[in-house]
Amino acid sequence: MILEMLGVAALFFGLCFCAVGVVGVIRLPDCLTRLHASGKVATLGLFGLLVGAALLMPSTSLRLLALGLFVLLTSPVATHSIAASVYRRREIVDELEAAPAPIESEGIVAVDVTAVLSQSRIQDIIEAQERARRHHRRSARPDRDK
Amino acid sequence: MIESPVAQTAIQLILLALVSLLIPASYRVIAGPTLPDRLQAVDLITTLLIGIIVMLALVEGTQVFVDMAIALAAFAFVGTISIARYISEGRVY
Repeated sequence: MILEMLGVAALFFGLCFCAVGVVGVIRLPDCLTRLHASGKVATLGLFGLLVGAALLMPSTSLRLLALGLFVLLTSPVATHSIAASVYRRREIVDELEAAPAPIESEGIVAVDVTAVLSQSRIQDIIEAQERARRHHRRSARPDRDK
Repeated sequence: MIESPVAQTAIQLILLALVSLLIPASYRVIAGPTLPDRLQAVDLITTLLIGIIVMLALVEGTQVFVDMAIALAAFAFVGTISIARYISEGRVY
């Protein structure tokens, strides 16, 4: 009885993380942040389901452990290869770029970040961005898009 | 095997919820603006399918479904790696 309650609780835990991951995959702005959300499904969501299944059906716990170990080994590799393909294709689309975040809201004092940073630090950031942009332009290969 | 009807109903409800999560996940496959988006959504769907198969093993009380889930995880890994290499390099090997 206790084992069944614990198992169903673990199953609900896994289901909650699966739902959160799917919502993140739909709502987050670009592909790399979506990878972060789908990683939650592959680790916490699936592991909640596996632990719940092992508690509810103890005879399969060895196979479930093998499945969990396999997913634990392969899911980061798959995620890394997808992230590398995003980086090599250089096509990060920011869907939220057109709608900037609201600065002022009721009861909250907005702080201007540029006023807090000193001028030399801002110059450093601008130079680093320029350098990154130049590097990007130099190493971007035009024969990718065919 | 699970005896209590409350646990049975909870397991079936969780299975139903997991299956219905496939619909919003496949939205990203259809509408994803770039190719890695679609690949990543397919990877997410495969992960959800592994969870669904494990839940199916619970509902049916059969151990064979867990073996199916392991095989699906292995094939999904190879497929994701090779498609990711193909869409970034233009070739698999």
